Amino acid sequence: MEIKTSTEEGITIITPVGRVDTSTAKAFEDGVMEAINSNSKIAIRFSDIDYISSAGLRVVLMAGKKLTASKGTLVLIDMPEKIFAVFKMSGFDKILKISSSFEESKSFFS
Amino acid sequence: MLIKIKNNIEEINKVCDKAKKFCEKNDIPEKKYHDIVLILDEIVTNVINYAYPDGNDHEFNLEIKKSGNYIIIRLVDNGIPFDPLISTDPDVSSSLKERKVGGLGIFIVKQLSEIVEYSRINGKNQLSVTVAIYNKEKNHGN
Repeated sequence: MEIKTSTEEGITIITPVGRVDTSTAKAFEDGVMEAINSNSKIAIRFSDIDYISSAGLRVVLMAGKKLTASKGTLVLIDMPEKIFAVFKMSGFDKILKISSSFEESKSFFS
Repeated sequence: MLIKIKNNIEEINKVCDKAKKFCEKNDIPEKKYHDIVLILDEIVTNVINYAYPDGNDHEFNLEIKKSGNYIIIRLVDNGIPFDPLISTDPDVSSSLKERKVGGLGIFIVKQLSEIVEYSRINGKNQLSVTVAIYNKEKNHGN
């Protein structure tokens, strides 16, 4: 897995590429935490991952908790159906903001 | 397909590659391939992380086979007794603040499969997971 990071309109977009599993969760966590430490508006893009395991879900949950506590915003974007199904069965669709695209997610950040 | 796995987390890569070959060979739909790889990741990770607390090198077996509409995954290790099915399911209705991640891995495995069975036989943990290739009744939003 590699992590691409970009900033658009003041929002940091994190794009993990490959597999987000136990062996890569630490690198994913480091990338997400680094972004959170420098910006309160974060989007994570899921279009380029093969799958996300519970180890990766833990990182997303932690990021959501951390940003909510600090009055920041986390939005999960570009999630393929198979990945969304995993978030949904985990109940994460009810506690995290999920948006179909970066354009759509902007309303959450305003 | 039989895969020998060492108790090293990097072995997940090998498992994913082999699973991909298996799914391609058996014409498994892309969505189901995703589910199978996710299941394998969760159960193999459990064994690597918890079955061998002595820290020494060990090897265990993973078998994947197709039987009609089903994929049957069997994981056999000679580590310490470990029944992943005894963990309680996470409360998927709790708020963000209260939400915990414990037990999420095996919960996902149960959601994506038809049957999950654990047994301890002759000093070995045996976990078997049965996945339907084409879902009939069970549907998770797809």
